[in-house]
Amino acid sequence: MSDEQHPLKHTKHVFRALLALAAAIVALLLGRSAFVPRSYGAYGSYRGDNVAEQMARPVRHGGDASCGDCHGDELGKHDKGKHAAVRCEVCHAPLASHIKDGDKVGAMKVRKSRELCLYCHLQLEARPKTFPQVQPKPHVEKMGGTWSETACFDCHDPHAPTPK
Amino acid sequence: MSKDPVCPGTPLAPTGGSNRRDFLREALSLGSAAVVALILPKELAAAATPNYDWDKHRWVYIIDTTKCIGCGSCVRACKQENDVPDDMYRTWVERYEVEINGDTFVDSPKGALESFEPATPSQSVAKAFFVPKICNHCTNTPCTQVCPVGASYQTNDGVILVDDKHCIGCGYCVQACPYGSRFISPRTHTAEKCTWCYHRITKGLLPMCVQSCPVGARIFGDRKNPDDPVNQILATERLAVLQPELLTKPNAFYRGLSMEVR
Repeated sequence: MSDEQHPLKHTKHVFRALLALAAAIVALLLGRSAFVPRSYGAYGSYRGDNVAEQMARPVRHGGDASCGDCHGDELGKHDKGKHAAVRCEVCHAPLASHIKDGDKVGAMKVRKSRELCLYCHLQLEARPKTFPQVQPKPHVEKMGGTWSETACFDCHDPHAPTPK
Repeated sequence: MSKDPVCPGTPLAPTGGSNRRDFLREALSLGSAAVVALILPKELAAAATPNYDWDKHRWVYIIDTTKCIGCGSCVRACKQENDVPDDMYRTWVERYEVEINGDTFVDSPKGALESFEPATPSQSVAKAFFVPKICNHCTNTPCTQVCPVGASYQTNDGVILVDDKHCIGCGYCVQACPYGSRFISPRTHTAEKCTWCYHRITKGLLPMCVQSCPVGARIFGDRKNPDDPVNQILATERLAVLQPELLTKPNAFYRGLSMEVR
């Protein structure tokens, strides 16, 4: 009987090939696991964990009610006035820059200048005609006021803006 | 940030998934256990917003160009809520001035962050209006389709998000968006965009641009909630979307949209 005809002659070669294949598969899986995030594909072709990360981003604006917790009088006046639809934090600043975990962490910025008023009330062609708007300097002069940085506030209370 | 991966509503493991997991564990316990631990997705557990089920919502946004006064409150609020980098905008307001002969002038200085100055006076302006812009959160999204790494995606409740830990900053999505809603953040060098304040809407709050609008020009609601007023508006009013010819199916709808607006 010749060597070529021995039934187990090539077994070790097949075994080596299978071992190499298994090693390649393990290497592939290890490599894949290193590069593909663990939650990838949980909901679709993206990293599923990111959905929760997006949800967990901090909410910086607390809303008018959060302002009213400490400044109820101002909020009450504001809610009855013509600026009731203007949210506190639009003119002031986000709650997060003022309060953290119930403690004051910074002064609330108030930009008390005519620019703040004119964001909304400067007369512009593109503004709806029904919205109250002025040419500031002629308006102040016509009303007998003094043209200054805070000219608007001489006559108007921004929390309830009718002429004083 | 939650350390555990999170499931917003739907259970991650499909029914019977544990059997497969058990089988795999047994099969591979012969020596490849380390590999298994790495390749099997870890079960998603606690939620950042536990009561939020994203399958029960489908968000939609309506913009009323007839009401917008161009004050820029939305732009400032968005900046502060989302810490948007300087000179970059997730929402902005454009001003259109159309002359009688059809010539159209569009501007948006600093995205309307500081509102607008009077435009160059022209006797022949026939119509002028403001148009707030945001990500349209399209149903057919050109942006997510071109992402080569799966960093941008659509949530089950219809919001287009970017995973800034996975994004490679190639900018394909920035170019693919026909509405100019994306940019590469100069801080992270990854794509950034409007999320409809996903961190707020999943807590029952409004997107900050909607909440900050003093004239109600921005409306946000849930198509899957029959009591939500947006459904009445969508059903009964004459609305338009930007660039409908692109078939992106935006989920931001406009009232009073003029044909000059792109």
